[in-house]
Amino acid sequence: MEEKQVEVVVVIKKITLIFLMGFGFVSFAQKDTLKTYKKKVLEALEVDMLLGYYSQKGTHASVTGGIGNEDLQNIAPTVVVKIPLNEDDILTADFGFSAYTSASSSNGNPFNTGASTGDDREYSGGDGSGSGGQGPKGSPWVASSGASRKDVLTAVNLSYIHATDDRNRYWSSNIGSSFEYDYQSFGFGGGVTQLWNEKNTELSIKAQVYLDKWIPIIPTELDEYEQFGSDFLIDNQSYFSGVSVLNSNGASVAEYLPSKFTPIDNVNRNSYSLSLGFSQILTPRMQFSFVLDLVKQQGWLANPLQRVYFLDKSNYYIGNANSISNYKDSSNTDVFHLADDIERLPGTRLKYPLGMRLNYYINEYLVIRSYFRKYLDDWGINSNTFQLELPVKFNLNWKLTPSFRYYDQTAADYFAPYNQHLSSQNYYTSDYDLSAFSSYQVGGEFIFTDVLSKYNLWKLSLKRIGLRVQNYQRSDGLSAFSISTNFSFVLD
Amino acid sequence: MRKIKVLLIFIVVLVSGTSCVSVKEYNRVYLNDADMALKASLCERFETTYHIYREAAAGANGGKTGGGCGCN
Repeated sequence: MEEKQVEVVVVIKKITLIFLMGFGFVSFAQKDTLKTYKKKVLEALEVDMLLGYYSQKGTHASVTGGIGNEDLQNIAPTVVVKIPLNEDDILTADFGFSAYTSASSSNGNPFNTGASTGDDREYSGGDGSGSGGQGPKGSPWVASSGASRKDVLTAVNLSYIHATDDRNRYWSSNIGSSFEYDYQSFGFGGGVTQLWNEKNTELSIKAQVYLDKWIPIIPTELDEYEQFGSDFLIDNQSYFSGVSVLNSNGASVAEYLPSKFTPIDNVNRNSYSLSLGFSQILTPRMQFSFVLDLVKQQGWLANPLQRVYFLDKSNYYIGNANSISNYKDSSNTDVFHLADDIERLPGTRLKYPLGMRLNYYINEYLVIRSYFRKYLDDWGINSNTFQLELPVKFNLNWKLTPSFRYYDQTAADYFAPYNQHLSSQNYYTSDYDLSAFSSYQVGGEFIFTDVLSKYNLWKLSLKRIGLRVQNYQRSDGLSAFSISTNFSFVLD
Repeated sequence: MRKIKVLLIFIVVLVSGTSCVSVKEYNRVYLNDADMALKASLCERFETTYHIYREAAAGANGGKTGGGCGCN
């Protein structure tokens, strides 16, 4: 009897032990399961190092009223660091510079003699002959050595993303700032993205604000007029003191007076945008998205450095009288047309761009990526953008993506070519970026993946190299070339 | 304004028609390909920037919509 009781106790103990162990295993298994299913939004720190180079040539320089040399070179190094703060949060820091030299901008002061602000007046009078002797010379076709010929933009942006546990909702926010010689910007924004229908459908809404400010640099002749008033041609302190001003016939006169010019009264330029996004998986091989942006800008929306010439006003020049007859020709290297005013545009602008993407996976070698955008605004611009990319995979490591982009736009209501505006107008610009044109861009991108992962930078392993080359042609004659590289690293 | 209305109606119809489509996660091997991402490549950001400067249209492509630079 006692033996039976002992056996029962042993059995109970075994059952209890098995139950407890089983419970324990289940508990551990549940914890493991939870860990497994809460995958990190970003597994490891990622660093992207980008370098872009851009070069353009054209004959419609906006600083000289829609005519002249608009050669420009730009180089822009950027570093993007993505940091996983925990399983749900990512902090992204984006630092960049963009340095350019521009023939058009250089002609803020076209007379090769110092800054357009008038603080660096190297010229102190000339022979006044107007024949191209000792006096100042300039031309819209020749880059000046003025301070405005180059600039560096410095930009910093921080963004933060938080994902919910089920990864069906993402909250985002960002803050950033950029600085140039004549422009400052401060921006911030936030948004939310919601997924549903087993993550087949995505809807997002984002808001963005930019509070920008001009530090206006205006053309030299208008700057002197602003400082010295109607005596600016004879005041001893003026840049133009003792300089001969010529009329259309080449005769020296003292009649030039840009009386339409008034100082800039509002240096702010603010932009407010609301972005609505929607994406949908259509089949196991196809998905699409669209984005609708609603943008309002207000403030000084024109560029203070850009000249305008009026058809109904007499023309006045500085430089070689013999070159006035071929002013519009690039052979003119020594005479410059003095401005009637700077570009003026309305204080508000409403923009409605709608973009759509459709991607289709054909097979393991080829994908079709397409993009279309319709753009409208209340300045009269109506544009279409179409882009097609065809990533071709040679193997797991090498990929080539040829691309083609087409763009067209109608002109802004306020655009007219060089010397075609009337002084009775309220708004005017001769910036060909606001003219009617079409453009196409052809190029490609090489991607090398993983093959170089044995190469490390500190604890970062090289994951991917990209090289993108593009050629851009605009129907008004502007042509551009760009090359950019991307080195992607991941923390080991 | 009429064009915008037509566009909005088109979007609503499109959304209504597609929201019932459902592809399971285990069936998304093609959709998870890097080239299927519904966004521009990182290298493309420089082009987006110079397009903003050289063209009047901006936005709806992941780039800036006019703020943050002295461009159009």
